[in-house]
Amino acid sequence: MIIHIPVLIIISPLLAAFLVLLTKKYKIILAITSLLISIVFISTLSSRILSGDKVLYHLGGWQGPLGVSLVIDGLSFFFSLIVLGLGLLVIIYSMHERCYGRTYYFLLLISLSSMTGVIYTADIFNMYVFYELLSLAIYLLIAYPKTGVTLRASFNYLIIGGVGLSFFLLGIGFLYAMTGTLEISHIAEKLPIAFNSSTRMVLMSFVLIVSGMGIKIAVFPLHGWLPDAHSMAPSPVSALLSGVTVKIGIYCLIRMIYGLFSTKTFSIIISSSHTILMVLGVVTLLFGAAMALAQTDLKRLLAYSTINQIGIIFIGLGIGTEMGLTGALFHVLNHAIIKGTLFFCAGIMIAKAGTRDVQGFSGFGRQQPSIAFAFIIASLGMIGIPPTNGFVSKWLICLAAVEAGYTVLAVIILIASAITAAYYFRVIQMFFSNPPKQSSTLICKEKQMIHGGNFFKAWTIYLLVAGCLFLGIVPVLGISIVKPAVSILLPHVIP
Amino acid sequence: MTPVNISLLVFMIGLYGVMSKNNLIKKIMGLTIINGSIVLFFISIGYRKAGLAPILEEWTTDGISTAIFVDPLPQALMLTTIVIGISVTALALALIVRIYAKYKTLDIQQLSKER
Amino acid sequence: MRSSKIIRTIVQKLFPFIVLFGLYLISHGHLSPGGGFQGGVVVGTAIILLALSYGIEKTEKKFKNRRLSMLEKLGILSFILLGFLGIFTGHSFLGNFLPLGRPGQIASGGLMLLFNIAIGIEVAAGVSIIFYALVKYRGEL
Repeated sequence: MIIHIPVLIIISPLLAAFLVLLTKKYKIILAITSLLISIVFISTLSSRILSGDKVLYHLGGWQGPLGVSLVIDGLSFFFSLIVLGLGLLVIIYSMHERCYGRTYYFLLLISLSSMTGVIYTADIFNMYVFYELLSLAIYLLIAYPKTGVTLRASFNYLIIGGVGLSFFLLGIGFLYAMTGTLEISHIAEKLPIAFNSSTRMVLMSFVLIVSGMGIKIAVFPLHGWLPDAHSMAPSPVSALLSGVTVKIGIYCLIRMIYGLFSTKTFSIIISSSHTILMVLGVVTLLFGAAMALAQTDLKRLLAYSTINQIGIIFIGLGIGTEMGLTGALFHVLNHAIIKGTLFFCAGIMIAKAGTRDVQGFSGFGRQQPSIAFAFIIASLGMIGIPPTNGFVSKWLICLAAVEAGYTVLAVIILIASAITAAYYFRVIQMFFSNPPKQSSTLICKEKQMIHGGNFFKAWTIYLLVAGCLFLGIVPVLGISIVKPAVSILLPHVIP
Repeated sequence: MTPVNISLLVFMIGLYGVMSKNNLIKKIMGLTIINGSIVLFFISIGYRKAGLAPILEEWTTDGISTAIFVDPLPQALMLTTIVIGISVTALALALIVRIYAKYKTLDIQQLSKER
Repeated sequence: MRSSKIIRTIVQKLFPFIVLFGLYLISHGHLSPGGGFQGGVVVGTAIILLALSYGIEKTEKKFKNRRLSMLEKLGILSFILLGFLGIFTGHSFLGNFLPLGRPGQIASGGLMLLFNIAIGIEVAAGVSIIFYALVKYRGEL
């Protein structure tokens, strides 16, 4: 059974998803059990992967380029840890709500299973199929409270995401036309030969793949679906979306740029792609910060803050040195933890205050001091203040920028952190002010998913905040997981 | 006008439909046209000159006949792509049915004016 | 949504042949163009044709929603179970453990026929359920 672990990690939530549809009493136990099985399986592999080894699995017994294989190396292991960890916490958070029926857990488990599938597969068309399955589950999860705004936000995301994935598929088509195979390592071997004969097709496929993935990651010109989708979804789904789903797009982009288009024959693609990533990162960063400053709706503010942090990750990826990549990947982990905390707290805050407007949270610090404290710690992590993990990753990226000669990038990141501080402190200031005499206006007219605070919700938030502080005080633990991932991308780095 | 060029032209037509039409159903039609153009692209890549359809009809003693077949792999990939396209269209239509029941309009400019 | 007498009679006579053609596509998936999804859609289309000509209430009395939903879940669970049988008999997930017969016959190709049947049942039930859901939605719930 040991050699079948890679496929069991993907199949266990999928099987539980279909079993959840049959029962009503045991749905939560099934969901949590299947995710715990996956986490146990992946931790048995951790010692092999962290020493730089790779685990291969051939589905159906078909080897090589004829069949689909699953590969777990340092990069896949790192991302799948984030997916499974945050997925388990999202299910625990939404446990005691009566309004989440069987369909909700079904969609959550399918989305988690297909995220793991995207990360583990070594076949580029299989990556597209799993990504489409993930997108379908997410469209339905956003529209789960069937109110008008959520339906419109989900439809918007459907159209834009569908076009983005079609670009990705067309890029795959060009790659297949040039090389004749579909497995990523084989394409990487055959691509330099094709580059000499038909340069334009390689450039075309590069442009299409980057644009397609850019739409799913929501970099600056292609971000239009993100504020509506992430703010109108129910709170645990927002945490899953902002924390993990965007990172799957970043994983695919990293695999394509550093895995496929990375040999020294492609010097024009590599140097220009690093510049493209840095420019996109800067523009996304400033845009997200500026728009978040103008928001009065709490969840929209958090969604624009996600765009902000994606810009920082892109700057780290674009610098391309070892320290830059370590900082960017570590920031992926930190952003998942911090955004999860913020959205979980936002769920409780909106339920208590009855409104999503920032003005309505006045006096919340006296009503529930522990949740307010968690929110403050998490926003300090987002800004980048020392004992939190956000400080470590932002510091690494700024240091890498200065070392590579791009000092202006470090200055821009610091300016954006100052703007981040401004809009988070506006919310925190509301915690400590006195509530107004009459009840607050702007109660949402439509029925929304109300989350009261209870034991499980509070403890998921405390766990995430503890992780945030722990990774900030002892960053070597986080960096030791990131190092094998970076060693896959830059071959001269030893884990 | 090779089939690859025609498929890219149809892709542009579908993209124009998604971007500039105001009716929600016309946007879905544009997405379906994009899917169709990608199917055409993949199939036309797999074409070999004077190739037969990849179905084995007679079995000689050595097992494989010595004819030229077109590439069967893109055809198998496109079956999966068509299934995905149908699922996305079905989901979009279900969302449109509920949006129409709530707002009584299908025009996206009027929908974005709603709060 | 009742259609005229001509359409109802023709659909009633054609229905078994459409289902037969769908089952032919499903079972010959490993020999000729076709397979699980294509045959399943044809069988689902037969049920949709009944619903279009006889009205949705009468069709739902014969092909109940709950029964189709249970068939759909059964189809997917049997697909995953066949994959696990591949693990239990020593090959990998979705690996073949049945004997490969002579190529060109129906009982050849190992597990492909069973996969096609499972997918065919699932897709037929799924397409019918999608059609029921889209037709029966009436305003705010």
